[in-house]
Amino acid sequence: MVIVKRKELSLSERLYLPEIFRGMSMTFRAMFKPAVTRQYPEEPLPTDEVTRGQPRLATNDEDGSIRCVSCGLCEAACPAYAITIDGQDTDRNAITIAGDVTEKFIEREPKEFEIDMLRCILCGFCEEACPKDAIFMSDELELADFTRKDLIYGLDKLKRPVSTLRPRIDYIYKVNERWQASSSTR
Amino acid sequence: MATKYMDYRPGFAQVDPDDPIHGELMEVNIGPQHPATHGVLRLAVDLDGETMVKVVPDLGFLHRGKEKACEGLGWAKFFPHTDRLDYVQPLINNVAYAMSLEKLADMEIPQRAQEIRVLLMEISRIAAHLIYLGTSSIDLGAITMFFNTFKERENIYSILDAYTGHRMNNTYVRIGGVYADVDEKVEGMMREFLDQFPARVDEFEKMLTGNRIWYDRNREVGVLTPDQARAWSLTGPNLRGSGVEWDLRKNEPYCGYETYDFDIPIGTVGDCYDRYMVRVEEMRQSCRIARQALDRLAHTKGQDVLAEDRRYVLPPRGKVMESMEELIHQFKIVTDLRLPKGEAYACVEAAKGELGFFAVSDGTASPVRLHIRAPGLMNVQAIPLLAEGRLLSDVVAIIGSLDFVMGEVDR
Ligand code: SF4
Ligand code: SF4
Repeated sequence: MVIVKRKELSLSERLYLPEIFRGMSMTFRAMFKPAVTRQYPEEPLPTDEVTRGQPRLATNDEDGSIRCVSCGLCEAACPAYAITIDGQDTDRNAITIAGDVTEKFIEREPKEFEIDMLRCILCGFCEEACPKDAIFMSDELELADFTRKDLIYGLDKLKRPVSTLRPRIDYIYKVNERWQASSSTR
Repeated sequence: MATKYMDYRPGFAQVDPDDPIHGELMEVNIGPQHPATHGVLRLAVDLDGETMVKVVPDLGFLHRGKEKACEGLGWAKFFPHTDRLDYVQPLINNVAYAMSLEKLADMEIPQRAQEIRVLLMEISRIAAHLIYLGTSSIDLGAITMFFNTFKERENIYSILDAYTGHRMNNTYVRIGGVYADVDEKVEGMMREFLDQFPARVDEFEKMLTGNRIWYDRNREVGVLTPDQARAWSLTGPNLRGSGVEWDLRKNEPYCGYETYDFDIPIGTVGDCYDRYMVRVEEMRQSCRIARQALDRLAHTKGQDVLAEDRRYVLPPRGKVMESMEELIHQFKIVTDLRLPKGEAYACVEAAKGELGFFAVSDGTASPVRLHIRAPGLMNVQAIPLLAEGRLLSDVVAIIGSLDFVMGEVDR
């Protein structure tokens, strides 16, 4: 426990005039210090893989197919109810994460995948929930448009080649490496 | 209009009974759109001359139904909402909420996660106090202070940005620990910040503590006696400013606070000035705790930051891709995270007082009831107590010194 001091004013502080000059000198000195403000649109904030920008859907580099299988887990995890998914079957070969084409079986993909960017709070829960490494937070932060409708992003606006999301994917894998000491339930 | 006047306490402003307009009360609205009310708070003030005879806070302008929202959203999805309660200290809110769920689930939290939580909470406390210092001083005309404190707060936000990816509304605490580990880069930034910060606090003090205007407008203004503070269930710096030694970090330790070495500052008189001094000292103490937490983190490198509990914690990312069981856990936890039946109350010492979450579960994925004990609400209640009988200009100092954020008051 410390009892905070109650300072009594000294004579110069009570007179106030010397204090004004002390304050002015402080202000004057600040003029020669480097500026801490940023000229925003010209000088954007630096972003890196930790930045949680808007969610984006990853597409495979090989054939441009979307990784999402419309399982709906991100929809269930989204606290803002921003995601709407409508799924469909495809006839394309399923590609495992390692990238080797496996035996052909029915893969699903989203017919429509909408994220309402006006609702999205960039929490990253969708990214955490996705079991197929299909949705990731990008470093795209700027969001402005003229109509509300344009801000409901469909598949066309959400798709990004997985290579551009690679730093984030690596980061997420690093962060989610847990329970190394324990044995797997496999 | 005949009006019965309250008994004026000594030291308070007096109304002039010889004034020809004495007794004609003027109703003045302060807020809801006023920069000095720190959010959307409306004060209905009855003035006699310049003396406030009645002050009635009008709440609810920012009511978003957070408690009810949790009943619909479920346990895990409520985390982002806790950020938005007291939005100047999101991580403390996260921890408080997570603690109540962990109590309900009877979980053990890994050592490293506890240390990271302490570190984040103390950093957030500094950020919240910086906001207090900046806003309460700009209300009283000290504009330089505002810019200086916000510049400092910006450094904290850069650190949090490097750690969580967001500057505000971080949502980085999970049931069972924290989402990510603090890596070297963040640790370095924290150390750098904590090393230069005490000098900055001294600088703030140089600007305010001996400032004649600050002194005159805060000394003996809004005096809160210890009994009043207890009776109105005020907590945090407001209570400690009145000289009551009560800090949950000492009295009911959580997250291992009992093992940290720090002092709790208390005031003697209980006026705005004491509350200011208490908060300034608290920033220094928070700095001390954060340093100790950083030192401890060096010893627990490589340990888990999330408890291994497949009922509530998402399995490791890599294994979800490979193992069917882990995939099932993933689906189970995301779609249907159930907590055991029962009720739990967990509270932390937030920047503004005791922040508690009372969760009642019936064993399903969403609570029957979640109550948030927000310190800001009690702080708002004290405004009439401190302001009535004083001059109108004092209400700004009082609001500033009580320090509340409407996001958690109205919730
Ligand atoms: S993005 Fe991921 S979680 Fe969402 S539907 Fe597609 S595969 Fe499922
Ligand atoms: S980031 Fe959060 S709010 Fe946005 S779509 Fe994903 S889960 Fe929903």
